[in-house]
Amino acid sequence: MSQVEKKAGLLRRTSSSKKPLKEKVVLMYDEIFAKEDPAKNNPRFWDELFLMKVNLEYLESKLESVDGEDVQRIQDNINSLFHHCVQALGEEHQIKVVNALQTLCALFRGVHQKNKSASGFDIINMLMGFDKAEQRMKDLMERLDSLLCGDSSESLKSLCLKLLLCLVTVTDNISQNTILEYVMINSIFEAILQILSDASSRGQHGYDAVVLLALLVNYRKYESVNPYIVKLSIVDDEPTLDGMGMVVHQALTEYNRQYKDKEEENQGGFFSTLTSMVGSMFIADADEKLSVQTNEAILLALYEAVHLNRNFITVLAQSHPEIDIAATPTTTTPTTPTTPLGTTPPSLDMMSNPELPLDPNLQTSNLLITFLKYASIVMQDTKDEHRLNSARLCLIILTCIAEDQYADAFLHDDNMNFRVSLHRMPMRHRKKAVDKNIPSRPLVCAVLDLMVEFIVTHMMKDFPMDLYLRCVQIIHKLLCYQKKCRIRLHYTWRELWSALINLLKFLLSNETTLLAKHNIFHLALLVVNLFNMFITYGDTFLPTSNSYDELYYEIVRMHQVFDNLYCMVLRVSTNTGQWKEAASKVTHALVNVRAIINHFNPKIESYAAVNHISQLSEEQVLEVVRSNYDTLTLKLQDGLDQFERYSEQPKEAAFFKELVREREGGLF
Amino acid sequence: MADAEGSPAVRSLRLSHSAQPPPPASSSSPTTFSCPSSPSSASSSSSSCSESSSDFLTHHHHHHHRHARPQLQLPPPTHGDQASSPSASPRSSSPSGSIGSTCSLGSSSASEGIGSGVIDPEVALKACQEVLLKVKLQDDQRQHPADVAERGAVTQLISPDAGSIKEEDEEDTDTPSQPDPRPSARPEPFSPPSSSKQSWLLRLFESKLFDVSMAISYLYKSKEPGVQAYIGNRLFSFPDSEVDFYLPQLLNMYVHMDTEVGDAIRPYLIHRCSASITFSLLSAWLLGAYSSDMHISTQRHSRGTKLRKLILSDELNPAPSDSPTSSPRTHQRSKSDATMASNGPGAGLRRTGSNPKVEAVHEEVSQRFSREVDSGPERLRPQREFIKSLLCIGKRLATLPTKEQKTQRLISELSLLNHKLPARVWLPTAEHQHHVCRVPHTQAVVLNSKDKAPYIIYVEVLDCDSFETSPVPVRIPETRIRSARSAENLDCSTAANGSSGMTSEHRTGSFSTVPNYDNDDEAWATDDIGQLQVEMEAQTSSSDNISQFSVDSITSLESKEPVFIAAGDIRRRLSENLAHTPTAFRRDPEDPSAVALKEPWEEKVRRIREASPYGHLHTWRLLSVIVKCGDDLRQELLAYQVLRQLQSIWQQERVPLWIKPYKILVMSSDSGMIEPVLNAVSLHQVRKQSQLSLLDYFLQEHGSFTTEAFLTAQRNFVQSCAGYSLICYLLQVKDRHNGNILLDSEGHIIHIDFGFILSSSPRNLGFETSAFKLTSEFVDVMGGLNGDMFNYYKMLMLQGLIAARKHMEKVLQIVEIMQQGSHLPCFHGSSTIRSLKDRFHMSLTEEQLQLLVEQLVDGSVRSITTKLYDSFQYVTNGIM
Repeated sequence: MSQVEKKAGLLRRTSSSKKPLKEKVVLMYDEIFAKEDPAKNNPRFWDELFLMKVNLEYLESKLESVDGEDVQRIQDNINSLFHHCVQALGEEHQIKVVNALQTLCALFRGVHQKNKSASGFDIINMLMGFDKAEQRMKDLMERLDSLLCGDSSESLKSLCLKLLLCLVTVTDNISQNTILEYVMINSIFEAILQILSDASSRGQHGYDAVVLLALLVNYRKYESVNPYIVKLSIVDDEPTLDGMGMVVHQALTEYNRQYKDKEEENQGGFFSTLTSMVGSMFIADADEKLSVQTNEAILLALYEAVHLNRNFITVLAQSHPEIDIAATPTTTTPTTPTTPLGTTPPSLDMMSNPELPLDPNLQTSNLLITFLKYASIVMQDTKDEHRLNSARLCLIILTCIAEDQYADAFLHDDNMNFRVSLHRMPMRHRKKAVDKNIPSRPLVCAVLDLMVEFIVTHMMKDFPMDLYLRCVQIIHKLLCYQKKCRIRLHYTWRELWSALINLLKFLLSNETTLLAKHNIFHLALLVVNLFNMFITYGDTFLPTSNSYDELYYEIVRMHQVFDNLYCMVLRVSTNTGQWKEAASKVTHALVNVRAIINHFNPKIESYAAVNHISQLSEEQVLEVVRSNYDTLTLKLQDGLDQFERYSEQPKEAAFFKELVREREGGLF
Repeated sequence: MADAEGSPAVRSLRLSHSAQPPPPASSSSPTTFSCPSSPSSASSSSSSCSESSSDFLTHHHHHHHRHARPQLQLPPPTHGDQASSPSASPRSSSPSGSIGSTCSLGSSSASEGIGSGVIDPEVALKACQEVLLKVKLQDDQRQHPADVAERGAVTQLISPDAGSIKEEDEEDTDTPSQPDPRPSARPEPFSPPSSSKQSWLLRLFESKLFDVSMAISYLYKSKEPGVQAYIGNRLFSFPDSEVDFYLPQLLNMYVHMDTEVGDAIRPYLIHRCSASITFSLLSAWLLGAYSSDMHISTQRHSRGTKLRKLILSDELNPAPSDSPTSSPRTHQRSKSDATMASNGPGAGLRRTGSNPKVEAVHEEVSQRFSREVDSGPERLRPQREFIKSLLCIGKRLATLPTKEQKTQRLISELSLLNHKLPARVWLPTAEHQHHVCRVPHTQAVVLNSKDKAPYIIYVEVLDCDSFETSPVPVRIPETRIRSARSAENLDCSTAANGSSGMTSEHRTGSFSTVPNYDNDDEAWATDDIGQLQVEMEAQTSSSDNISQFSVDSITSLESKEPVFIAAGDIRRRLSENLAHTPTAFRRDPEDPSAVALKEPWEEKVRRIREASPYGHLHTWRLLSVIVKCGDDLRQELLAYQVLRQLQSIWQQERVPLWIKPYKILVMSSDSGMIEPVLNAVSLHQVRKQSQLSLLDYFLQEHGSFTTEAFLTAQRNFVQSCAGYSLICYLLQVKDRHNGNILLDSEGHIIHIDFGFILSSSPRNLGFETSAFKLTSEFVDVMGGLNGDMFNYYKMLMLQGLIAARKHMEKVLQIVEIMQQGSHLPCFHGSSTIRSLKDRFHMSLTEEQLQLLVEQLVDGSVRSITTKLYDSFQYVTNGIM
């Protein structure tokens, strides 16, 4: 088949350049673009047309070249073509169905290319005609639905999905695609679910189905009632949800693997660096792009599932063996993007295997672990807008997860221990952690690690304030859960404390630059309140009594930072200015930290003086701390364990609109 | 007292075929005993026997034929003189049979080709009783003829040649054709004298003393087909549970002994199988396991294999699919299954939300083992699939290198399994009828084992009236838990969101009744999409907010004045809280089970119940089971039976020895399940985790020497030590390292792993020569060698041994029958039973026994080999 295709392509190219020997199908297209009704002379015109192999290029270019006045003239014929395409979808003859699907794809694309500026209604009119549009689209969606759900061949189903994806992504902004209104009315949600619920169809079409769903959910999300949102939010069929999770898991795993391969390649010593350098001189940056390109559509799908569907949370913890595609010989032929969409799904052949593979080297994994690894990669580099948005989406997803009680339950489940090897940015002042020594811990430890890692690595001039806020809020939400459920997590809280203190330090030293763009007091308040959580409620969730002492030790040790912060916020709050309010909140929040510092510092100094020690050891300071608790009084602050729940609207609406727009422009 | 009389009687009977016990007390009422008629019926229908025996399983209408059977077998031959010659088999000799034969002929011809399948136990029982009644009467009346007849019976007992056995056998199968009412309808005027030997047996059989144990014993030892067949029928009269205990014995006899025994047992087995799925599967598993020792070629055609196939083919299903009773039930089930989808939150919404097509497909798939058809060939399927998947998991786990990987894999495999639950499956180790509804997969844990991967799972079940007929519980999605999880969330979630705000009451309601799923919900659903979205919004913004307020911060909100707290208080609370948490074990990736097993059972139940979507149902219970793959549990089963027997003997004799037999399920010769001992960890784990001596650990767990708790725990320890010391001695339990001895939260020790008992011991240079394991640590817990408790320990052992000796037969019998045809290592050599018998020391006086106990204890205390063995285990397996 492909060879025939190639031949045809070659033929076409030569023929078009040399002599005007036209394919029959091209002649027929020409007839359509003539004034006359093509069926007038040849009653079997439409029958014959769909037996011909589609010439997408020609058809599209023909559509694009139609002049404004011609539009009126040929509209009837285009309407007719559309109508017959839809009719042909019901044919028994598979060839006709395939050709009709491709023709439709060309129609949608061609018409939109031509009428970039035109309103959606004009486009609908041109394709279907206003009066018949509703009926035509209803027929089309019904046909597609039955093709997707019936036992038609897999390639046919694949083509159906491609057509739908083509339709959904044909405009830069999905919400401006008026045709989708008909897709809302005539839902294909059920067909998508069915694809996801069945292992074999999921393996072949899962990726497309999930992307399609994610995009449909984002159609006029905020302006109208989108039935896909409603339907997605109430799916509770476990195999289907699992299927969706598997597809996402698969795509993210594939990305992680590619990244890892690339990383290893880069670290392969002098020789390999050399070869890759030489190689990169010849090979265009296409390869580079691929590896950098994030799977945002999939990430968006994950977000929608987590955000909209309560039941999907269980899927996050559903274990799968970690599928390392590199280890298994890939038998799938390289997927050439046959469609103009360019969505190349990762090879999903493993997914169709219902039995878990039996490889002792496979670590058991789940969607959440894969997602955390993915997030750790994406968050490493947030310099360009594109990746910043990916990182933001990751943090939003984590926010949703951290708020969910069920998710919290399994994050903290002591029986579900995993080794999660997060990717860490190579930095000068620290060695790369050895992967092998990661202990097996409850999953929440990995989340906290990821947050700490982010905090430590993003203190830069171009400060990602938004991401920091989300990060600190995620930690806060997790602490609230631990406090409420009295879960004593064996986590090295010290790393978190010192990361947070360093963050405060960074805010202080870059006050002027940062204040120009951000409200740093809000972030400072959140950070100080995290400390307040530990100080006031530490008895409910700290793992050892020693850890409470260490908290005090850390605060006292870094008292300079808190002192400076206090000075700064006091200064700002006494001046009149836009930050007055925000700064004064921080001064109030600091009351306990200051009480601790003021209480213990003199005690430690006098201890040093009495014992004639210039430099106290940690153990000695801890001893002082332990013996002086009873004379310290703290103030109980309000609402430390309360947080604002995540809601997409109105705060995040702009981000998601932007994201969808970018996605369509950039990725498809 | 009862037993004291019983066992000698048994013995004398068995030994004295020729000796004549004195005839019992006489009376003079006229007899109605009708034995002479029985031979006649036998002869009349002998022609039909071969056919009917072959297909009698499918026969349904002629129950009464079979039930008359005991009448035939029990009575002695018509004429004592004739009976002495082998050819004079009773049936040919009776002139009086002619009348009976006519009627029996008629019915037998009718039964030909149809045969009889299921025996009604009640009818069988009645038949037994009738015979017994007659015998009794006869015994009372006739003294003199009894002598004569008795002699005849004896001769027949002694010298049955092959032919006569064959004939007897045929006669057995014939008996069905004898009509029920006949004996009483036609009193024989010249009834022959009955044998007093037989009547002795009969008197025993009818006496209250005659229990299942004796029945099994006679079945095994008697060569007399009449007796065997009688017992075969008599089995129907025992309570199922009592017979169930001897199921391994019954099946082993069925597999490995001669046809007569098999034929005698078969009707009972068939009957029970058709009545119960549980019994069917247990039997099928055991039959497979006990047949496995046969040579492969014989095995294929053995009766055991055939019966197994028959059971598994499910032809014994009592309710054919067209039966009127089953079809409405099926219908109802499917209806409720359909509705289960819609009884949850946003009931009707689901219909719009999820694809009906998807559901249909899903249903089909899940029917493979969950939503089964009520009757038909699928009867055993769900349970078999369930067990199969559990065993497969075990096999797959064994290929993974580390404990951690195994546990992770286990969890993920179980989570997949969870998708198919609830289903009509049950845990065979449990007492009550139930359906398995969920496996809390994250709680499962891999146990310590060198190369196999046994694992323990916790299983949530819902009790029901009848596992086989009660409707399978409706599935509740995992996430549904949140609404019912805690009271604090309930209020706001019901108020705020429609999608998960079902209260538990709602759910229970829709679960137990058959909800009407059609009209209202759907109508509501189609209209309210818009409204739902509003609800969803409301929910995201509000639902859990309130629950995030802690008590402290609310109080502080209410009072405007600042609240002060002392830092010292916080610190103190922290250390107090930490101190109050029970001494949990540390998590150890190399020994994941330690933590799981140390957690008190009640605690675990509470925790899992809280986290379960089914937890709110009042029928909810938590069970646990250990799944073993690649291990032969037949010896374990044998040990369990012996332990159970000894336990009941000691209870009966009121000796306060404590042992804990744990249930064993043999699935095949290399797989099975074990009921875990709750609240118990191995001594090895205790040591490794606590780093304390056993005594110190006792002090830590139970309190100081003088506390009530410690003394109770110490007494428990001593009583269990005594029990298990005796067990270890009698059964020669070996491989007693600390990993195989558990300590429960009350201070009892429990021995596990009976892989080396009787004639087998681990191949290790003759370690473990002492009678049982009694380390100085044990003695320390008992308060030292000179303490009262140590003397109490020895006294308990003596009492226990005396009691066990008294009922030795009951113990021996279990082992002896299982030896039949077995290749198990514990039966290696020829002297297994004799040695076991010797260890009961029947010949010693009680004083001598006391001396023996002293010697045993002394030897064990002194024995350095236990110590050596422990260090050997430490070196080789890392067991402390």
